[in-house]
Amino acid sequence: MAFRDLVMGGAGCAVPGQDGASSSNPLGGLADSIIGSASKTQERIREMPGLAGASQAGPQFGRNGPLTSLPGSEFNQAQWHDGQVPEYMRGFQSADPREFTDAWNQSVERWPPPPQLSTVPGNQEGALFSEFDSIYGQQAGPSGAPLLDAPPQRVLNNFLHSFFDSSRTNAPFPAVRLPELGLSQADKRRIRDRSHIMGRHIFADKGDTFVDSQVNGLLHSLDIDESLGAQTRGPLAGQIPEFEQLWKEGFAQSNMQVVPRPPMSLGTQWANEFHSQVGPSGAPQGWADEFDNLQTGNNWANQMQEQSLSHLRNGQMGNMAGMEQTRSLVQTLSQNQDPKFQSSKFLQFVSKMSRGELIVEDNQVKSATTNADAWANEFQQQHPESWAAEFTAGEHQFRGDTWANEFARGKPEPVTTNDAWVDEFSKLGVKDWADEFGDQMARGALGDDVSSEWVDSYDQFVEESVRGEQMKAGSSRFVYQFADNNPYVGHPNPLKEGQELFRRGLLSEAVLALEAEVLKNPDNAEGWRLLGITHAENDDDRQAIASMVKARDADPSNLEVLLALGVSHTNELEQDEALRYLRGWLQHHPKYGALVPGNVSEQLIPSEVEGLFLEAAQMSPEDSDIHTVLGVIYNLSRNYVKAISSFERALQLKPRDYSLWNKLGATQANSSRSAEAIYAYQEALDLKPNYVRAWSNMGIGYANQGLYEESIRYYVRALEMNPKADNAWQYLRISLSIASRNDLLDAVERKDLSALAKEFPL
Amino acid sequence: MPVFRTAFNGYSVKFSPFLENRLAVPTSQNFGMVGNGRQYILDLTPNGLVQVAAFDTPDSLYDCSWSEENENILVSASGDGSIKVWDLSAPPMANPVSNRQEHAHEVASVDWNMVRKDSFLSSSWDDTIRLWTLDSPHSLRTFAEHSYCVYNACWNPRHADIFASASGDCTLRIWDVRQPRSTYVIPGHEMEILTCDWNKYNEFMLASGSVDKSIKIWDVRSPRQELTRMLGHTYAVRRVKFSPHKESLMVSCSYDMTVCLWDFRQPEDALLARLNHHTEFAVGVDMSVLVEGLLASTSWDESVYVWQMGMDPRAA
Repeated sequence: MAFRDLVMGGAGCAVPGQDGASSSNPLGGLADSIIGSASKTQERIREMPGLAGASQAGPQFGRNGPLTSLPGSEFNQAQWHDGQVPEYMRGFQSADPREFTDAWNQSVERWPPPPQLSTVPGNQEGALFSEFDSIYGQQAGPSGAPLLDAPPQRVLNNFLHSFFDSSRTNAPFPAVRLPELGLSQADKRRIRDRSHIMGRHIFADKGDTFVDSQVNGLLHSLDIDESLGAQTRGPLAGQIPEFEQLWKEGFAQSNMQVVPRPPMSLGTQWANEFHSQVGPSGAPQGWADEFDNLQTGNNWANQMQEQSLSHLRNGQMGNMAGMEQTRSLVQTLSQNQDPKFQSSKFLQFVSKMSRGELIVEDNQVKSATTNADAWANEFQQQHPESWAAEFTAGEHQFRGDTWANEFARGKPEPVTTNDAWVDEFSKLGVKDWADEFGDQMARGALGDDVSSEWVDSYDQFVEESVRGEQMKAGSSRFVYQFADNNPYVGHPNPLKEGQELFRRGLLSEAVLALEAEVLKNPDNAEGWRLLGITHAENDDDRQAIASMVKARDADPSNLEVLLALGVSHTNELEQDEALRYLRGWLQHHPKYGALVPGNVSEQLIPSEVEGLFLEAAQMSPEDSDIHTVLGVIYNLSRNYVKAISSFERALQLKPRDYSLWNKLGATQANSSRSAEAIYAYQEALDLKPNYVRAWSNMGIGYANQGLYEESIRYYVRALEMNPKADNAWQYLRISLSIASRNDLLDAVERKDLSALAKEFPL
Repeated sequence: MPVFRTAFNGYSVKFSPFLENRLAVPTSQNFGMVGNGRQYILDLTPNGLVQVAAFDTPDSLYDCSWSEENENILVSASGDGSIKVWDLSAPPMANPVSNRQEHAHEVASVDWNMVRKDSFLSSSWDDTIRLWTLDSPHSLRTFAEHSYCVYNACWNPRHADIFASASGDCTLRIWDVRQPRSTYVIPGHEMEILTCDWNKYNEFMLASGSVDKSIKIWDVRSPRQELTRMLGHTYAVRRVKFSPHKESLMVSCSYDMTVCLWDFRQPEDALLARLNHHTEFAVGVDMSVLVEGLLASTSWDESVYVWQMGMDPRAA
């Protein structure tokens, strides 16, 4: 019964006579019906040419035949006379759609807040109202709608995909919190209704409990309040009218010849239903009650309230926790060995998402799981205030708690599923079930594997939190890790040796030699600097930053060091750090130092720093370094168009700077121009064939274009040069999965590059 | 054979009954869960499948049907409960030429009457079926007997007034629009029924496909027992279609990502071919009326394939 509630939804409780499809409350219903398609068309697909005029009030078909020319239509005459076109809509019928929107906006402004909200304790009221505003700002305001191709949509799309994919793996769909996707209430409503219905098609033979847990996992992740979840009914709770009728008539004469059979998975329910209909004090009353519940009109209000509350809740703890958990989801999923799961678009999303976080040169290929700051920054850019508030509210606590909850909830899930099956089995004794169960076990979907994945993720989370703590301490968090067994220790002139190795492009060897140098002379800024550059070119930004920090400590005014630190921090998406170093670069520059005001404030405003460099560029337009820094700054602000032109300008002045070509390529890749990026990387590699980072960037460039096999070759090449480039391993793994070469994942596990190179020669 | 990449997830594919090289493909963003829809019109050319037109809609599109009397008219079933009427001969700004907003929930299917060529049916998740003509902006009649989503409704190819419906209430119903109530109820499967189609040579023969993974063939006059049952799909059967050219030939597609060809006359060996060309749920399949053996399929993998029976859809 409750399912009808879901399907018929709040619309029934909304404005009487309204058929607001998929709307959860009167306002939504009103919005849908009044400006419905017309306004949504304008809002959401406005960008598309030729659609601006699409509207409900389009011309009707020319021929005016009689309405009842079809036999049988007389049975339906009252059908649309009342209610289909509400009174207030008729007035609008011929109006310009724009007027609709305006009228709607006005009516929304005037609309009194739902009285239920006032039951909320006073201190939350304001928040709820603003929530309310923001919901309706989004739903009705012409500018509030999210752009459909914006990244959140991609997240959503891929997330939904993994939901449907879980039908194949039989793995419980873990609830995770995604970053705020800006879904309107109507959208959430749609997702909820549709996932319930479609989920049943896909997961049906695994039992209702399984369906519900999968769907709830999805809804929870999308912060959709499953307020009607407890009442959800399956597709058949035994209400075939004929059946009831037949029963009442004691199977009397009827042209209905058959008694419908119950669906297998609902056996008990059916039986209950059946009994309650037979029983003297049976169902009718219950049904009536339920119907009452549906019609009371409280529904939307409650829902509204709950949604607001959940939104609030989400606001407080969802953000940072969401990032953490998304990353752990990503990790969990990428470890799933099921081939069909591996070929899922979700994994493609994983690779794109984690790459999407990366900026500029040395486009550090980081695994999604070490991307805490990237997420944070990403979020900060989108929601500066709330993030700040969040942060001061004590994110760590929230992270810990939600994770713990998540973990507690996530782990028992397989057990629950198991129980459901057992129940079903005992009910039905279907032979199938045993087979299926066997399959499940064989695939490990139910068993320890899942739990251990969770355990792994949990361990990882702990590790990350610890790392996160360290990171908060600023640059000092980067502790340089020396290699063991360095053959260059004791070398008479390791710096010279290192420089030579670097020049010859033997980066990993150069690292060892330079480490020997800085072990010998810890205050040698040049040693540290070159070590940092070598690491950067060798695709290891953390070590690069650690070295550069040492170099800066040794020589705080070394321009190259400051620039390199600015770039590395940009790669790590640490805007403040990056800007500080870049401004420091300007400050210490003999020519431009005067530009920086004497009393340097701690307050770093990106536009101010940008302004300083623009002034510098005016002073000497022929200084390629200035253009390079500008390019980096524009990358920080994600102004890729300007960043590209800055790097291009710099390259005109310094065409043989391979790292500039790489920066240009990385920027192009970030602005979805991966095909051009390939060209830039190729230039870099022509100039410096052992440029590991450019090789792996090249792989990313191909992967971005969907050329996964091609990307594998480049990752493998990069790894042959530097097997320690962990991130390249991570990306190799993803590309192999997407290219359906799971057979080679073993080789990745063993780090068997010769096997990989044999399969994917360059 | 040609493949076309759609921007959104495919939901259905229909050959034009007038132009042998034309297809319509309704698609939805985000797997039809939320977001926009786009109705594609594609032409099969020597250079492959080429987009002729595309219409965007504010909500998902789940199905479409060509008019049987005007080669330029097409209706689409939308997730917002509306039915869009498109006219390819009208300027883009004028489309949709009509928007029928009556269903309270997602419209799952639309089907044009092949005999009385001015009418069509829509079935919806609001548990009802509605009867429409192009002339009237409002539905002529609502058929509300199913107790759960009606996933499919399709006209009998011989009789102007007879149609069948497939519902999540696990029944098939046979209707005669001249009658006040449904004529037959067939409790066809033990799980939701997602699709049905009439045999083009036998006016009483109906096929159904269900979440229980089976396809059943019925003589609607004896709803107690199916004529035959065909097993082979490993997930819910999303769509079944009888051949317009050979009585016993059928095609189906499924959430198991495959498209299967069947000969129901060979109960032991009914499965003729299983095609694995899609990489996500296969949800749309059609057989051309005008070119014998020409097949088309679409899937959530954002592709549309057109191929000749007996060939590999992926073969270039």
